[in-house]
Amino acid sequence: MKKRKERIDRGIKVRSSDIFALLSWREMLYLGAPRILPVVVCLVLPLVLGPYWQKVLLSVAVVALLAISWDILAQTGMVSLGQALFFGVGAYCAGAMNHYWNLSPFLTLPLATIMGAVICTLLLLPVLRLRGIYFSMVTLIIPLILVRVIEATKIFGGTEGLSGMTPLPSKWIELYLVLAVLLCVLFGFRRIMDSDYGLVLKGINDNDRSVINAGINIYWFKAQSLFFAGAIGSFSGAFMTHVYMFVGMPVFALDYSILPIAAAVVGGPGTLAGATLGAFILVPLSEALRGFGGLRIVFYGVFLVIFIVVLPEGIFHYIQRKYHQIERWVGVEK
Amino acid sequence: MLEVNDLMVFFENALALNGLSLKVDEGEIVGLIGSNSAGKTTFINTVSGLIIDMRIKEKRKGGERISIYGNIRYQGEDITEMPPNERVSKGIVVSRERHPVFQESSVVENFKIAGYLRTKAEIKETMDFVFTLFPPLSKLKTRKAGFLSGGEQQMLAIGMALVVRPKLLLLDEPLLGLSPMMQKAVMDAIVSLNKESGITVLLSEQFARPVLPVVDRAYVVENGMLSLSGTGAALMNNPEIKAAYFGV
Repeated sequence: MKKRKERIDRGIKVRSSDIFALLSWREMLYLGAPRILPVVVCLVLPLVLGPYWQKVLLSVAVVALLAISWDILAQTGMVSLGQALFFGVGAYCAGAMNHYWNLSPFLTLPLATIMGAVICTLLLLPVLRLRGIYFSMVTLIIPLILVRVIEATKIFGGTEGLSGMTPLPSKWIELYLVLAVLLCVLFGFRRIMDSDYGLVLKGINDNDRSVINAGINIYWFKAQSLFFAGAIGSFSGAFMTHVYMFVGMPVFALDYSILPIAAAVVGGPGTLAGATLGAFILVPLSEALRGFGGLRIVFYGVFLVIFIVVLPEGIFHYIQRKYHQIERWVGVEK
Repeated sequence: MLEVNDLMVFFENALALNGLSLKVDEGEIVGLIGSNSAGKTTFINTVSGLIIDMRIKEKRKGGERISIYGNIRYQGEDITEMPPNERVSKGIVVSRERHPVFQESSVVENFKIAGYLRTKAEIKETMDFVFTLFPPLSKLKTRKAGFLSGGEQQMLAIGMALVVRPKLLLLDEPLLGLSPMMQKAVMDAIVSLNKESGITVLLSEQFARPVLPVVDRAYVVENGMLSLSGTGAALMNNPEIKAAYFGV
C-alpha cells in the first residue's frame, strides 16, 4: 500500500479558532501564548541584558519598526526601497524642533511622527500611480536627493548636522518607550490588516483593477497606507535622534532601507510579526559577528543567502505552520 | 503512444485526479471532456511535466504538497518523473490554457522564442504552415502579441506549440473564451494539422459540442475520475452527455 504524507490542522487549533469552544487552561494557553510571549519578552529583555546589549535592543526595535513599515507598504502593493526616507525625515523633524525651538522630546516625538508622515506622503504622492519597480526606484532615489540637498544648501547644519539634542530622561524610559511603541504598532496594525479596511489594502496588492471596479479610489487608500508607514518610520527616526543626541546626513544612509527589507524577508513578509521576528534575529546576529572584523559582512551575506534559499517562506510562516498543523503518513486508498 | 495508468494527483489533501487511466494512439485526436474543476488542467500539467516544476516550487516555499502516484508511459518509456524540458525534446508539447503569449513581443518574435530549440529554416517553415492554418495571423506579423484579440492569441499560442515540432500536442482548453465561429475555426485547424502533419493531439475541453464530432475518441472526466469513454460519435448520442453538456 502506498503512503502519503498528510497535513492537517491540530484538533486544538480547530477548537480554538473555528468552533471556539475552549475546554481547558491548556487550550487557553495554546491561543494566548503566541500573543503573550512577545509582550513578556519585551518586558523582561531590558532587565536581563547588560548596557551594551540594551543599546543593541534599541536598534533591534528601530529596525523592527522600519521592517513593519516596509511590510505595510508591501502588503498594499508598494515595494519600497527607501525606508531611510521615512527614518531620515522623522529624524530631521525631531532634531530641528528640538534644536531651534527647544521643544521637549515628549513633544517632538509625536509631532515629528505626524509631520514626517505628512511630508513623506506628500513627497511620494505624485508617484503613487507608478507600479512595481518604478515606485521602488523613486523611493530609493528621494533619500539620496535629500542628502545632497542638505549638503549643498547647508540647512539643518549641513554636513556637520545638528548635535546637542535633549536626551530622554533615562535609559529605562528609552527602552520601554520604544518597545511599547513596537508592541502597539505590531498588534495594532496586525489587527487593522485583518479588518475589512486591511482587506482593501491587501486587495490593491492582489489585483488593483478589481479594487477600482468595486468603486474604491485606490490612490486614496494607497496614500493612507503610505501615511501609516511614514508615521512608523518617522517615529523610529525621531526616537534615534534623541538617543544619539545628534541628527545628520547618515540618517538617510542605505542601511536603514536595506536592513528592514532583509528582516522582513528572513522573518516572512505579509504578517508584520515576521518582520519583527526577523529584526530580532538579524540585528543581534550582525552585532555578534562584529568579532570577525571585515569578514562580518561576508558571514552576514552568506547567512542571508542560505536563509532565502532554504526557507523562502520566512521563519514566521514556518513556525506558524508547525504550531497549527501536524503531518502524518496515511495510506493512499484506491 | 501515450499510456496513463492509475494516475492519482493530490494537492495537499485534495484529490485532483483519482485513478485516471487512458491511452492515446499514434495519429489520433483524443478529447478529454469535463466540466470545471474536473481535473483537466491538472491532467495536462501532469502529462506535460509542468507539475514537476510546480511541485518543487511549492515544496521550497512550504506551500501545498503535490504528490503524484501511478505512471505515464510515452513510447514505451516511463516519463512520470521526467522534467518538462526533456519531455519537450521527446516531442510532448503543451499549449496551456488562457493562451499565454509573450505580451511585449511581436507575433514573429513569439514564434522565434517558442522555437528556440529548432533551426531557423525549421521555424520559417512551420511559421508559414501556421500562417496558412490561421490566415488572420499572417496580417499581424509585426503586431505586439498583447494587442491581439483573444482568438488571435489562441491561434498564436497553438502556433507557438507547433513551432517546437511536437509528436504529441497537448491542448488545454483551446476554445476558452472564443466565439462559436472562432471555436469552429480553431477546431478545423486542429483537424487539418492532424491530417496533414500527422501530429497526435490530446485536447481537454468543456465545450463538448464543437469537439465531439471531430475527435476520434473521447474520455469524460468528473471529479478527477473517468466516467465515460468511447468514440466521438458514440458519445454525441449518449443521453447522459446530451443532458450534461448540450443541455438537451
